Order: sequence, then structure tokens, then C-alpha cells
Amino acid sequence: MERSEEYIKNERKKEWRVELQKKTKAKDRMTIERVQMPESAPEERIKSQRIEVNKGLTAEEAMREATRCMDCVNPTCMEGCPVSINIPKFIKNIERGDFLQAASVLKETSALPAVCGRVCPQEIQCEQRCFYVEKLHQPAVAIGHLERFAADFERESGKISVPELAESNGIKVAVIGSGPSSLSFAGDMVKLGYDVSVFEALHEIGGVLKYGIPEFRLPNAVVDVEINNLRRMGVKFITNFIVGQTESLDDLKEEGFKAFYVGSGAGLPRFMNIPGENSNGILSSNEYLTRVNLMGADAEDSDTPVLRGKNVVVVGGGNTAMDSVRTAKRLGAEKAMIVYRRSEEEMPARIEEVHHAKQEGIEFSTLTNPIEYIADENGRVKQVTVQKMKLGEPDASGRRRPIPIEGSEYTIDASVVVVAVGVSPNPLIPNSVKGLDVSRWGTIEVVKDKMQSSIPEVFAGGDIVRGGATVILAMGDGRKAAANMDIYLKEKYLSQKVEH
Amino acid sequence: MKEFNSLDDILDFAINEEQMAADFYTDLAAKMKNQEMKDTFEQYALEEIGHRTKLEAIKNGKAYKIADSKIVDLKIADYLVEVDTEKTNISYQEALILAMKKEKSAFKLYNDLASATTDAASKKVFLMLAQEEAKHKLRFEIEYDNNILTEN
Ligand SMILES: Cc1cc2nc3c(=O)[nH]c(=O)nc-3n(C[C@H](O)[C@H](O)[C@H](O)COP(=O)(O)OP(=O)(O)OC[C@H]3O[C@@H](n4cnc5c(N)ncnc54)[C@H](O)[C@@H]3O)c2cc1C
Repeated sequence: MERSEEYIKNERKKEWRVELQKKTKAKDRMTIERVQMPESAPEERIKSQRIEVNKGLTAEEAMREATRCMDCVNPTCMEGCPVSINIPKFIKNIERGDFLQAASVLKETSALPAVCGRVCPQEIQCEQRCFYVEKLHQPAVAIGHLERFAADFERESGKISVPELAESNGIKVAVIGSGPSSLSFAGDMVKLGYDVSVFEALHEIGGVLKYGIPEFRLPNAVVDVEINNLRRMGVKFITNFIVGQTESLDDLKEEGFKAFYVGSGAGLPRFMNIPGENSNGILSSNEYLTRVNLMGADAEDSDTPVLRGKNVVVVGGGNTAMDSVRTAKRLGAEKAMIVYRRSEEEMPARIEEVHHAKQEGIEFSTLTNPIEYIADENGRVKQVTVQKMKLGEPDASGRRRPIPIEGSEYTIDASVVVVAVGVSPNPLIPNSVKGLDVSRWGTIEVVKDKMQSSIPEVFAGGDIVRGGATVILAMGDGRKAAANMDIYLKEKYLSQKVEH
Repeated sequence: MKEFNSLDDILDFAINEEQMAADFYTDLAAKMKNQEMKDTFEQYALEEIGHRTKLEAIKNGKAYKIADSKIVDLKIADYLVEVDTEKTNISYQEALILAMKKEKSAFKLYNDLASATTDAASKKVFLMLAQEEAKHKLRFEIEYDNNILTEN
């Protein structure tokens, strides 16, 4: 949502905000220590894939943490948020105890605050730009924990408001994929009066939120509440439907769909292309996590079990790698290890996940890169040959790139290897729709900020446009696409002139 | 090993190598199913033509220098398996692997030729050529490091 600086300043001058500002002196706010998120004990939580690690703040903890926030005149935290949530406004609502109002502030801009509060990399976004970090060199206000608190409070209160819907305009719009990008798009479009159908290839709605991110970080119940809300608002969900295979985009056009949003994500696993990589026992993080999260392979009596092993090696340093290695631990691995070619500092995973992984006994081999897999006589992987790396001198871009140290090779025993070295866009839509401009990476090309592709009635966003990115960016794209598709459709079918 | 009779002979050989590389990429481009990969290989072909032009200028008397500092070798390609160039659906990752490996073998060729020759002027030309190839390889390695080796 576009909001002027003036609007934000005026909001800050509202009577209740001024009262709060006066109530506690800045000096006293500063003496409060940052709240610690209550956690399940590591030795307990590793017994199940479905025990959430973070337990959430109590109302007292949340109000106390909210008091730390200085309600800055110039809230730099908002600049750190990819969708510019009005952060001080929601936090101050928590400080005054109006939690439902706090949640509604979040929802002005974010379609999935309970999700983002749990999975956003806050330490490199809003929290990094917090006054405490920038000016006082102290821990940031726990914006993410507070976001989660407000969203959870609303959900648990049972008082989730269904937004007002515009009168139905009868125009049919199809959404391809049901990840965070598609869900936020669908929500905005149904509010505007469109007839929205979401087509999902899998049997579950939610994209990576369901099949990728494990329940110990993001319980399915949290996502389901959002999906049910959309259902109540009139969004239709069609599962087990692969657009481009079950039916083509052209078929859908013939069925009366006037425009399309492609949110088909980046679910194509990438491999390293090193010798032995196709041995048995080596699988992509995608397959590994999907089997556990979506098909219940963690259950002892599962019909679709996943490979378990004594020594599990996970290659990579992102969230996907952390989720895989922690899943391996929960499936009973004695030794679960991360092998990552750069140093810990460069790991793209959220800091909290790395911290939790260490608490759970995950081993880390950084500046280490696999160069070959060795299989036994049955073709099953038994060892990984790795090589130590060192960081080279900074290059023109200022980056220190890892360089192999020759002669440093050694082997690690591995009964299962999970490769989590990145993903590529799902190729089906880019390859099957004629006239769609696609980059060499396989991402769909769109007009920036409009999210419109080379085919005027096809919009796209999220990972299919960005490659692997984040939930909040995917969600933001969905909202931008909805706003612009609305203009496009109104002008074309309802002969309404819309101000741009 | 190939015999060279003059510096021009060496440069002609290298110019021809660049042209062959360009032709190789042009052929691949024609074979690809997807437009974006056709475009990619056509761009690689153009880059090779650029290298050829640079060598032709040197042959025509343009001065060249060998940099003192060694070109960084990220050694990314060294451990990767060969790409099957028969297939028509090469991915961008595979295209980069192919290009890195090609530049690497050209580098190795000129480096070996430099070591094998005793003539100082010829050695200098070979080293210059090796350095050029190392630079080309680094360009692909950086692209690979930035875009393929990105975990999420
Ligand atoms: C294991 C893992 C952990 C992650 N952790 C984090 C994190 O902590 N924080 C964070 O911000 N980001 C994280 N990410 C990244 C984040 O999840 C993604 O950026 C985000 O989900 C992208 O959303 P999306 O809507 O574009 O696509 P997705 O969530 O990928 O959803 C795409 C959906 O489209 C469906 N689909 C594809 N093709 C078709 C078709 N032809 N027809 C019908 N349906 C189709 C797919 O089945 C899928 O359900 C993580 C990713 C993974 C894999």
C-alpha cells in the first residue's frame, strides 16, 4: 500500500500515540532488555517434525517488548520492510494492549502476517534498520516476534474479520499455483469483486509454506486459517490440476478466464553436476522435504517412507539446507551435517535457523565443498569426497569468492545426502505458453512493479519471476499484480477509465 | 605438438580457434528448443567473435601487455562432469559449465605451448593468449558463482 511520509507523520501525532510517547521516557525504554522468544527444549523438539520450536510471546512479554520501540519520527525500520508495513503503528497498538488493532494494521499491507512473523529474515530487513541497531548498537526491537504475536492473537481470538468485498463483477480470473504469492493475489482480487479460481498441481494448497517449510517452523494450521479465510471470501481452490498438462492456458481461456496470474514458484531442484551425484541415497531437498511435510514420511508406518540414515550430509547453507538437516535429525540421524562452500557469515539462512540447528546438535562443515560421491557395490552412496576452500581476495564487486585448496581433500561417511544448492523456476508454464518472454534463467519476464508479462492478460510474480526469493517478496508481487490487473481488466471489460 | 613458424602463425592459429568456438556456439544455438537458450549461445558466439577481433588487431600491430598479476582461478569447472552437447534442452547452468570448461582447455593449451617453446617472443604471445582465456573463464565462473551457486 502506498503511503505518504505525511500520512505516517500524522498517524504518529494521533492523541493515543502522543500519550504513549509521553508515558515512558526514552531512557527507560532503552533499559528494557530485548525479549527472548520462549522455545521448546532442543532434546524434546528433535523427537518430532511437528513440535514448533518458537512458542510465541505472552501478552505481557509482547507489551513490554513493544515499549522498547521509540516510535521514531523517522521510522527507518519501515524502509527495511519490502512491503513497508507501518511498523511503529502496529507495535504501539501492542504497547497499549489493542492487539486486534495491531493485527489489522499488519493486514493493511501483508496478507500473511502470521507466516511472515515466523519466516521473514527480519535481521536483514526491518530489524537491521531499527533505531537500536543503527544508533545505539543494541539488539533491535523484536519486530518479527511482535508481528507473530499480533497475528496469532487475532487468529486464536476467533475474531478474524472477513474484509468487505466489492460487488461481484463476474470476470473470471485464474491463478496458477497456490504459494504465498498466489494467495495474496487471490485475496486482493476477490476483494475487488473478481471470480477467482486457484489451480494447484499438488494435493495441498500453500506451495512452499506447506511442502517446503517444516511444521517445526511454520505449523500447517497457521497457513490453513489463511486459506480458509480466502475460501470464505469466495476463492475457489482446485487441487491436483497442473496448468500446461491437465489443461493448457488456452483451454482455460476458452472456459472464460479473462486473465491469469502465474505464481508457479521455483520448485525445480538444482544439482551440482559432480561425479557420482546420481547414486542412490542422494536426493534433492525438495523431494526430501516434500516427502516428509506433505506425505507424512516421518511417521513410522508411512506408506511413502523417506530414506533414513545414520549419517546424513546436507549440502548448502540456505533455509532449505537448514530445514533439511534439522528434518534429518528429527528422523533419527545420529549425525546430521551441513557441508557449505562459503563461510558461516555468508550463509543465506536466517540466523535464527542456524542458531536453532546448532542447539539441536547439527554439525557444520563450512568452507568445505563436495567434489565427488562414492557409492557402494549396490550403487548406494557411502561417502562424500570434499575439499576445503579458502576465501580469495575481494574482487571488483567486493566479494570474496571461495577457492579450493588443492590437496585438502578428505572423505565423509554418508548414508543419505540431501542436495540443497538452490532451485530453478518450474519450467512448465515458461516452456508451454507461446509468446511468453522468458529469461535465460527460466524466469518469466515482467514489467517491473506492474508484474505484467509479454502477454497482456498474463501477470506473474514470486519465485517464477525472481528465482528463489522470499515469502514477503512473493507476497508483495501478488499484491502489485492484483492492483495492476484490476486496472487492465476494468479498462478492457468494464469500460472504466482508471487513474494510473 | 603443433609446429609454429612465426608469431603470425601463432596468432592465425588462435584466431582460427576463436572462430571455431564461435561456430560451435552458433550450432548449439540452432539446436536449442528454447528461445532464451538460443539467445544465450548466440551471445557466447558473439563473445568469441569479439575475442577473434581482438587477436586480429594484435596481428595487425596493436600493442599488447601481459598483466603481472595472475588471473584468479576459481576452479569451479574443474570438478564438474561434462555436459552432453547432443541434447537440445541444455539449461543455463549447463551452458555455463560448458563455457567454463571450453575456456579452461584453451587456457591449458596455450599454457602448455608457452612451456614447450624456447623462443622468448613466441612464449610471450602464448602467455598473452593463455591470460586472455583465463579472463574469459573467470567471467563465466563469476556468473556461475553469482547465479548458480546461490542457495535459498
Ligand atoms: C525449504 C524452504 C525453506 C524456505 N524458508 C524461507 C524462509 O524461512 N523465509 C522466507 O522468506 N522464504 C523462505 N523460502 C523461500 C520461499 O518459500 C519462497 O520464496 C516462496 O514460497 C515463493 O512463493 P511463490 O508463491 O512464488 O511460490 P511457491 O511457494 O513455490 O508456490 C508455487 C506453487 O505453484 C505450484 N505449481 C507450479 N507449477 C504449476 C502448474 N503448472 N500448475 C499448477 N500449479 C503449479 C507448485 O506446486 C507450488 O505449490 C524457503 C523455501 C524453501 C524451499
